[in-house]
Amino acid sequence: MSRADIIFLLPHLMLTLGAVLVMMAIAVRRNHFAVYVLTCLTLIVALYFLPKTASLPHNVGVLFVVDGLGVFNTMIIMLAALAVALMSYAYFDTREERTGEYYMLFILATFGACIMVISGHFVSFFLGLEILSVSLYGMIAYLRKRERSDEAGIKYLILAAFSSAFLLFGMALIYAATGDMTFEGLSGYFSAFDELPILVMTGVGLVVVGAGFKLSVVPFHMWTPDVYEGAPAPVAAFISTISKGATMVLLVRFFLAIDGFRFPVVLTIFTVISIASMVVGNILALRQQNVKRILAYSSIAHFGYLLVAFIAADELGVEAVNFYLVAYFATMLGAFGVVTVLSHPERDAELLDDYRGLLWSRPALATVFVVTLLSLAGIPLTAGFVAKFYLLASGISTNQWLLVILLVVNSIVGLFYYIRIVAVMFDSAEEREARPAGYVGNFATLLILVVLLVWFGVSPQGLIDVIRNLVGVG
Amino acid sequence: MIPIENYLVLSATLFSIGLMIVVIKRNAIAVLLGLELMLNAANINLVAFNLAHPERLDGQMFAVFVIIVAACEAAVGLAIILQAYRVFHTAVPDSISTLKES
Repeated sequence: MSRADIIFLLPHLMLTLGAVLVMMAIAVRRNHFAVYVLTCLTLIVALYFLPKTASLPHNVGVLFVVDGLGVFNTMIIMLAALAVALMSYAYFDTREERTGEYYMLFILATFGACIMVISGHFVSFFLGLEILSVSLYGMIAYLRKRERSDEAGIKYLILAAFSSAFLLFGMALIYAATGDMTFEGLSGYFSAFDELPILVMTGVGLVVVGAGFKLSVVPFHMWTPDVYEGAPAPVAAFISTISKGATMVLLVRFFLAIDGFRFPVVLTIFTVISIASMVVGNILALRQQNVKRILAYSSIAHFGYLLVAFIAADELGVEAVNFYLVAYFATMLGAFGVVTVLSHPERDAELLDDYRGLLWSRPALATVFVVTLLSLAGIPLTAGFVAKFYLLASGISTNQWLLVILLVVNSIVGLFYYIRIVAVMFDSAEEREARPAGYVGNFATLLILVVLLVWFGVSPQGLIDVIRNLVGVG
Repeated sequence: MIPIENYLVLSATLFSIGLMIVVIKRNAIAVLLGLELMLNAANINLVAFNLAHPERLDGQMFAVFVIIVAACEAAVGLAIILQAYRVFHTAVPDSISTLKES
């Protein structure tokens, strides 16, 4: 490994260093605040060491490809992780559990996601995904005394391990047929074919199953609502943003490398998944009374939308995926941030009733929630609208008319359940017990997220330019 | 030398057996066993098909990583199952249902 290689991997190395430091700090003395500060510092230092755009792209061995797509998404993931860390402090400070190990798992999970977005080889793909999932098992089941946290942990454990076995077997089959594991080498192999041989096709199918589970797209979505409901709110935010986003970027990289959409079979599979996710996600969300479950189904539907741009798979499509991920990250973090702030030490604020009259009792918080819900619904002047517009543009430019029409119809259906939550918040206030005191970090995060959502909604050009420059490099 | 297809048949069989165990068995520990079998089926493929490219060791290297990952997964998995057993007094995921559609 040369000096340059190490410089390009510095952000990732900083994360591993941070995880070790946190572990040692816990061994010396348990202090929630110190560990939390250490975690935030780790993330900030890692962000500082992100490679400069001028020097991209750079291959580190065969395992990693540090290009514009990778660096941009590493940055997004780390910023999102920072937001989740800020939320987590307030959340775990009011609960009786031991807090130190959470941050170690948290940094490792972030590390896994950052490895995924720069991986250019099956080994780094699989290891990144496993570092992410194994840390997530622990994070989901972290509130040991809460029954539902344990149940969510055991469900996620079995299904995630199941899906990664599929993923691995798929990789092994592709390796069996091609004798290569780098995306670069596979791209040469795939371009020689007009039709996929049966072994490779099975392999790609199994990889899609494994990744589809992580993305929680229909029909691999069964775990999502249960895990979101049972997991601590900040962890649910982590799963819905970082874990899914990293997998999406990895899929984009993989399918661009092998030019997978030349093959009608692959195209059909993803079209069906996209349609199913949009429709099922939205319809199941309609009848929910639990806000965390609504957000879970909404995230399923959102990844159905996102696949429209993924299927387009051209330059506009990749741009759209990146823009959508930024908007989606900010929105979901905002929504789960509100859930976190309102959560009671005994249980999370997840019932619709917990939000009744919120606009009158906590106007600032309610405003934040309204903005995030409108952004999820894709109302103009929020980032969600521009993101959805981008998806439509990329869908239309590649003539995916069926998908485009379904996207629009589903957005309208989606509007209904988002507005229902808003309506509940407008209801007359009722007596509610006093909440634990607020934390500065929480409110600062929420404020920044809302400003970002509106800013990207009103003038998206700045972000679009950044994405275009970076993704264009790779 | 054993024909290369035989390895494929063996690994596919093992994978299917593992899959059956995961689907049929109700005890979470038995499910973990099935998962290990599935991962190791993939390992057989990786090592066997490395034979075609003896100058590169990527398949064997991957297999070593997979063994490590499988060990980590089993360790964390058993810890979670143990914790769930302490709370629910059962290791059968189907009989745990505090999370439901509302």
